[in-house]
Amino acid sequence: MAELTADAVVSKVKRGEKIDRADLSGINLANAMLEGASFRRCDMVGANLEGAKLRNANLKSANLCEAFLSGADLRDANLDNADLEGANLQRTLLAGANLSRANLEGANLQGANLSGARLTHAQLDLANLGGADVAGAVLTHADLGECYLGAVKMMKAELTNANLNDSNLEDGDFTGATLADAQMRGIKARGAKLVGAVLSKADLGKANLTNADLTNADLRNASLGDAKLEGANLTGAKVYGLTAKGAQLVGLKADWLDNSPNADGSVRVQAAQVQAVLSGEAPISSARESSRSANHRYFGRGDVLRNASLQFDEGATVEIESLFESCTIALGRGTELLIGPDGILAGCQITGAGNITINGKFFEATSGRKSGPAIVGAHQLVVSSTGAMVGAVQQPQELTRFAFEPGCQLRMRITTGNGSGNGNGAKGGKK
Amino acid sequence: MSDLRNPIGSATEKRTLVEEGTTFKGSLSSTCPIFVKGGVEGDIQAPSLTVAASGTVSGKVKAGELKSEGSIAGEFDVDKVQLSGSVKDNTVIKAKSLEVKLTTSNSKMQVVFGECELEVGDQPTREKAADKAQENGKSVPPPADT
Repeated sequence: MAELTADAVVSKVKRGEKIDRADLSGINLANAMLEGASFRRCDMVGANLEGAKLRNANLKSANLCEAFLSGADLRDANLDNADLEGANLQRTLLAGANLSRANLEGANLQGANLSGARLTHAQLDLANLGGADVAGAVLTHADLGECYLGAVKMMKAELTNANLNDSNLEDGDFTGATLADAQMRGIKARGAKLVGAVLSKADLGKANLTNADLTNADLRNASLGDAKLEGANLTGAKVYGLTAKGAQLVGLKADWLDNSPNADGSVRVQAAQVQAVLSGEAPISSARESSRSANHRYFGRGDVLRNASLQFDEGATVEIESLFESCTIALGRGTELLIGPDGILAGCQITGAGNITINGKFFEATSGRKSGPAIVGAHQLVVSSTGAMVGAVQQPQELTRFAFEPGCQLRMRITTGNGSGNGNGAKGGKK
Repeated sequence: MSDLRNPIGSATEKRTLVEEGTTFKGSLSSTCPIFVKGGVEGDIQAPSLTVAASGTVSGKVKAGELKSEGSIAGEFDVDKVQLSGSVKDNTVIKAKSLEVKLTTSNSKMQVVFGECELEVGDQPTREKAADKAQENGKSVPPPADT
């Protein structure tokens, strides 16, 4: 039995008084104006808050078990550690709310708006999130076991280390979501959209991914053992280290797969080999070999090249694990140049619209013969976590696409071709 | 890439917000994370700075963390940087760690770099690289005369 009447609660809120730790169990506050109210640690078990205006309210550690919150406005509310087990949150507005460590076990969140909400370590097992908008929400370490996520909108959501075992994701949209290290065993994800999703090291064993769209998804070191992939689209997916033993692959669509360790596209598996590679019938190495055309050039460990001029035509792939000193390297358009972890380029210059990946070391000439930037006109430059680069990069007119992984070491000057900026001029630049 | 809609914890956590349509000129020092949707011209010191796609920051910045989807210019002395958006001419970024991702679209640029300098991580040295090469069984000649 509530210790305060609904009218008393509304009056107190109007006066700006806090209602912390009160017993409000079973209270009827339907459609009440409670914006910014403080209900910290209140007992609100079974309360009726249908359509209530609770924007920015503080409900930290409140007990809202079995509460009726359908259609309520809880945008930007603080529900940290709140107990919402079995609560009805259908079509509730929870955008930007803090639900960290909240217990939502068995809650009904059908059609709710949770975009940008924070749900780290939240308990959502057996909850119903059908059709909910969870775009951009943070659900790291959240428990979504046996959850219903049918037609959910989870674009760009952060689900690293989340548990989704045995959940239903059918027709859900997870475009650009991060599900690294997630537990996803036995998920039912028929027709789910996982375009560009990060699923590295995720456990997708026995998952049903029939007709799912995994285009450009990052599946490196993930497990798809005994999964169903009939009709799924994996074109451009990053599959280095992926295991798919026992998976059903009939009807799988993939024009090509990216089998490079750094997901830089340097090792491609062509359509004809996709099934053999995924099923483990063709070893990765043979796929890797076959993906390398006759145009592949490899400079192995122990080799030293000095003062050489090298030119590689369009379509060539070049891998360097050697020591190159004072060399000039000209790359054709789209030529892939990979400096391996043991590769060292010292005093060298690379020119042309190639795609350069540095896993090793690159040092520009300190003085003397070589003049001008170390890299000129590259289409793409990637420095991985093991890579180091000291030198100048001169971008072409259409600008270089850059990528840097955490851990890389750089002493880099980036310039543009005409030396007078690229229209990217600063008003308040370096002082 | 991280989402910037709720970039620094929950909306209920304290943060300094420069809203879209607002331009701040001068020095800004805060013990709270700073979130810029508008413009800041001047010096900033904060534990973390987030620049939304609509935001611009130019000046001297010292922060523990920088996440930018907007436009930045000036001198940045930061531990950890996550970049997209644009980096204007005459910018210097000094950081322990830098992350720039490639977009999936081949035509789209994650970051547009103007003329700038990046100092990230420890100074790479030829000696260390040569040592590593020797560990791997290579015969490494002395550095070439340059």
